[in-house]
Amino acid sequence: MNLFRSEEHIGRWLDGRAPGATITAGKLCDLAHAWWGDRLSPEWKPHPREQNQAILDGLGLVGEFWHLG
Amino acid sequence: MESPDLAVRQRTYGLFVDLGRAPLAGEVAVACGVSESAVLASWARLQDQHALLLDPSGSRIRMANPFSAVPTPHRVHAAGRWWYANCAWDAFGICAALGVDGEIETTCPDCGEPIGTGVRNRRPTEPDLLFHCLVPAAIWWNDIAFT
Repeated sequence: MNLFRSEEHIGRWLDGRAPGATITAGKLCDLAHAWWGDRLSPEWKPHPREQNQAILDGLGLVGEFWHLG
Repeated sequence: MESPDLAVRQRTYGLFVDLGRAPLAGEVAVACGVSESAVLASWARLQDQHALLLDPSGSRIRMANPFSAVPTPHRVHAAGRWWYANCAWDAFGICAALGVDGEIETTCPDCGEPIGTGVRNRRPTEPDLLFHCLVPAAIWWNDIAFT
């Protein structure tokens, strides 16, 4: 799970491997705040899978790749 | 998650932030008023629930996501300290968890050049950088260190 400057760098890094999913840092920042924002809260409780899936879905991260299983 | 394990988890995370590093089991034990063996047992159960990751010895924290207990290519300056994140997602997650702005430094896995972005008011200063996730979500925890 890495940052890159461009699709060209991702393609070279993959070096023939099947690609995963690419999103912008802006979307990643939204995802990080939704996913980790409560991690230090005194009221923190484990996220059920459905809650985490809803975070992904809410950001448009849908489809087989983003399905938590 | 049982209440004693939740208490150990909360103390573990609290100490991680207070100390700026992963706490030792003995430190968590003192903070919780329980034995070190009880902390280690809680940590093992928390790992089973994907709430943290232990090192191969099972006695030290490896990941308290989004924080990494060991150096990684993903560094974050936030809340007056440098932190290591487990990945680029977790780097933004450290700013999110701490609820502060920050600076993220990493390197391009392709060319090795430095990549940096700030986080200001929950937004990246370099929003067009790209994040690539190689592993599908369904199997992230099969090998979370690789993921």
